[in-house]
Amino acid sequence: MDDFRLRSERRPSEGGIPARRAVTHWAWRLFRREWRQQLLILALITVAVAATILGSSVAVNNPPPKDAGFGTAPYSASFASYSAKAQTFIAKAAHLGTVQVIENVTYSIPGSINTYQLRSQDARGPFGGPMLSLINGHYPSSADEVAVTNGVASAFHLSIGKTWKVGGVNRDVVGIVQNPQSLLDAFALVVPGQVTNPSQVTALFDVPASAIRSLSEGVQISTPASVAASNPLNPETISLAALVLGMLLIALVSIGGFTVLAQRRMRSIGMLESIGATDRHVRLVVSANGTVVGIVGAILGLIIGFAGWLAYRPSFEQSAHHLIGVFALPWIVVMLAIVLAVLAAYFASSRPARAVTKIPIVHALSGRPAPPRQIHRSAVPGVVFLVAAFLLLGYSGGTGGGNGSGGAPELLLGLVLLTPGLILLAPFFLSLTERVSRRAPIAARLALRDLARYRARSGSALSAISIGVLISVIVVLAAASRFSNVLDYAGPNLDSNQLALHTAFPPHGVNIVHRNAKGQLVPVPNQKTETATPAQLAAGAGQIAKGLNAHLVALESPNAFLSGTQGGRNWSGQIYVATPQLLRAFGIKASEINPKADVLTSRPGLSGVSGLAMGYGTNSKKSVLRGGPAGSDRHPLIQEISALPSGTSAPNTVITEYAMKRFHISMSTSDWLVVGTQSFTAAQISSAQLTASTAQLQVESRNDIPSGSTIINWATLFGILIALGVLAMSVGLVRSETSSDLRTLAATGASSYTRRTLTAVTAGALGFLGALLGVVGGYIAMIGWLRSNSLNGGISALKDVPFGDLMLILFGMPALAAIVGWLLASREPAVMGRQPIE
Amino acid sequence: MSMLELRSVSKRYGQGANEVDAISDIDLAVERGSLVAIMGPSGSGKSTLLTIAGSLEEPTTGEVVIDGARVSGMSRNDKARLRRRSVGYVFQDFNLLAGLTAVENVSLPLELDGVSMKKARAQGMVALEGLGLADRAESFPDQLSGGERQRVAIARAVVGERSLLLADEPSGALDSVNGEAVMRMILSACHGGVAAVVVTHDAKLASWADRVVFLRDGRAVDETLPPPSPEELLNPDAPNPA
Repeated sequence: MDDFRLRSERRPSEGGIPARRAVTHWAWRLFRREWRQQLLILALITVAVAATILGSSVAVNNPPPKDAGFGTAPYSASFASYSAKAQTFIAKAAHLGTVQVIENVTYSIPGSINTYQLRSQDARGPFGGPMLSLINGHYPSSADEVAVTNGVASAFHLSIGKTWKVGGVNRDVVGIVQNPQSLLDAFALVVPGQVTNPSQVTALFDVPASAIRSLSEGVQISTPASVAASNPLNPETISLAALVLGMLLIALVSIGGFTVLAQRRMRSIGMLESIGATDRHVRLVVSANGTVVGIVGAILGLIIGFAGWLAYRPSFEQSAHHLIGVFALPWIVVMLAIVLAVLAAYFASSRPARAVTKIPIVHALSGRPAPPRQIHRSAVPGVVFLVAAFLLLGYSGGTGGGNGSGGAPELLLGLVLLTPGLILLAPFFLSLTERVSRRAPIAARLALRDLARYRARSGSALSAISIGVLISVIVVLAAASRFSNVLDYAGPNLDSNQLALHTAFPPHGVNIVHRNAKGQLVPVPNQKTETATPAQLAAGAGQIAKGLNAHLVALESPNAFLSGTQGGRNWSGQIYVATPQLLRAFGIKASEINPKADVLTSRPGLSGVSGLAMGYGTNSKKSVLRGGPAGSDRHPLIQEISALPSGTSAPNTVITEYAMKRFHISMSTSDWLVVGTQSFTAAQISSAQLTASTAQLQVESRNDIPSGSTIINWATLFGILIALGVLAMSVGLVRSETSSDLRTLAATGASSYTRRTLTAVTAGALGFLGALLGVVGGYIAMIGWLRSNSLNGGISALKDVPFGDLMLILFGMPALAAIVGWLLASREPAVMGRQPIE
Repeated sequence: MSMLELRSVSKRYGQGANEVDAISDIDLAVERGSLVAIMGPSGSGKSTLLTIAGSLEEPTTGEVVIDGARVSGMSRNDKARLRRRSVGYVFQDFNLLAGLTAVENVSLPLELDGVSMKKARAQGMVALEGLGLADRAESFPDQLSGGERQRVAIARAVVGERSLLLADEPSGALDSVNGEAVMRMILSACHGGVAAVVVTHDAKLASWADRVVFLRDGRAVDETLPPPSPEELLNPDAPNPA
């Protein structure tokens, strides 16, 4: 006894560093030998880190740099004109430190809704360097010189050496310039003092910090940091949120992987224990393996992500419209991605590591899987989390007087609490499978019972599926509720084969332009813009339609309006008159129209909205309009006609001629719709803009706003793909747990049908339970948030159930998983056939 | 003082109607330098006796004393430390760690006990040299023959200052030549002061032991001195260790 004690005192009780080194060394060797068995987890982590690096780099670099508009200056102040206040400020700042003044005046680019700026800026000024770079030629050095951006050069067909009258002065184009921080910044650069009546004066300055207070009296001083902080949901924040969520999903999936791995190494672990390894050593074997997987995955992800960034950066600069440095990565996000990848793998392995130490050594040495631990986990903790999330989301939705504007922290916390709620409920849901299985055929019964018995594996997979589906369902429900509001209509403005032409108000002080013999737009000397007559406008619109070989529909605006409120939102959108020409353009026959209908609409559900009134003779602000006497019809008869276009800028709601006569409503042509037989190309749109510029018209083409169905379908697809991905990664792990059962079944004569059924039922049941849990969580979140959110219509906003998408998630995805499981289970997977590695 | 003492040790598995007595009321004492063989039919409790003696399993009743230390009062970590320092285990199927070379397998218990890698490796090499495996020190287990693997396992069981060697059918997976070689090594360890308990089916190998304990249905039914071994027969002057 004494001898034993003496020897104990000589060395650390658990072997200290040499022991940890030896165990870690063995874990590393095992990883090198068995990396193929961990390929799934390794691939997951690698892809997640690579995607995070590439995605966050794109997200962070897509908007202009946060110091855009500051150059190298630490402070900036802007003024609407060169007022006395601006002059005083600039003088004081110049006295205290260094100032660079940039003056702008904005002009419209004829025929386009875009503008350009005439900018006076010292190209060699103390701060403006990063905002200016020379592509070709040289910077202007005198009043009769100008340098332009590529955009301006293209719009006005300019090149170096040409003369261009801008700002009332004929100037020689001496250079092509750009703003590296904003390639979309369209401007004409002149020397300081050449912008006589600026619409924006920006002072970039650097003064001692102590002087800022005296300068800031009555003036808003900005810093790059204050501009960045004004948007809490900046791309880095979103990237981090996505990263945390992604790593959580990976950790959940990896738990199953490491559990199976630990089981496969059970004999080795038993051997280690038999020669004196402590629980800590055993835990270290498994968790060190997890850490190694995390580190290797993170390094591979970093390499792949950075390589992807290098490959994508050149084309990304063009789409982001500003120059981006090679190393302009969000390094905090990158570092966090690496750290989180390692932590996720470590924590995913630490649970199986703890579990493996509880297996008796003799049991471990025998290599037989330990009997599954019975989990009598209550659903109560999960329900508590869900209730807390429900209450927090409700509080968030009710802030800001019912528009949810002031409850961002509660919203975030509520959404975060949903995750542990679902994770804690997963084992309870799995226990239901055992009850369902009692009357099922043998293969299905075995599969369902195994799901319930081996919840350590299946529980984490179920949690991961349910969280993926939860995100998807929240997006689906939020989009469905928002886009179902027919009064405040949201979605794309036009179809891709449509262009809207609006009357353009000529900008002040701009010369009339015309095409010269070379097709270039040039100003007509000494001729100012005048308002075009309706006939001239119609002729211009006709010319555009003819040029596009498209059909032109004149859109008549009535002196009437619709008003009403539904779900906290008011009517929005332009209404037009259902002229015979318009109806004919969309193939609507007179016989299809109810002769007593006042309004025709393509907005689904508008006819059922109560309280929608039609006013006439005034506009919605009660200003008297031209036409007949003012009045209102509180119960206009609305007929839904799906043939009318659905775009928000298209005539989706029109007043019938019957109502026009009945209420003596007058009308006038203000807009046109050009309808082509196929989508318009960018060149066609550009050509239309050029033509419109000479006819005082503006062209509106299809915007990038997605439709509700697009968002819902993509969200559904996202949820299904996440669920299927998790199933693909976890079903094999869950089934490998019972590989010995499978061998026994095969030995007793079970056919491949049994094997297929086992896998199919496992995949289908896991998929269905995950979908069910996710849908329940999604509805809890949305009901919680909407119940006190009057702006979005309260709970009634959920009345339009996206039935098809939910059915796809609830039944389509599990069915697909079962079918794929059935097909892939035709041969016994190698992982099942292989003996545990010793 | 005995190196190993089992006092009225019993082990019961299962509960209620499934209750089975694996071993009942076993008393056994093994002195330093002696070799005890355990024999008996399958299911007689031989391996259970060995796992309890090696602190891999807890007895249901009774007491196990190793090197004067009562095992039943020890924590899991203390038991692990006891195994690292005092008990060497040899299994029928070798139980070498696949990811480690022969010398790393041998030196592992020392490293787990806090001995520096360099010193542990040096001792591991000494143990391997003693068993004629110095040239295979850098081989992985799957590159070794069955006999070599078992020799590595014995080297691992005796490396350091360990004084109790427990072997469960150490020659079960070997041919007769290798089996005898293994027994010779265990006996050699005993001559060095190690107390050894060997579970075997093979009466011929059991004849190498100083004492043979017969188990049947979990009870020690007989305990006998073995008949003279071939070596003793060849050398009648050799003293009988019993």
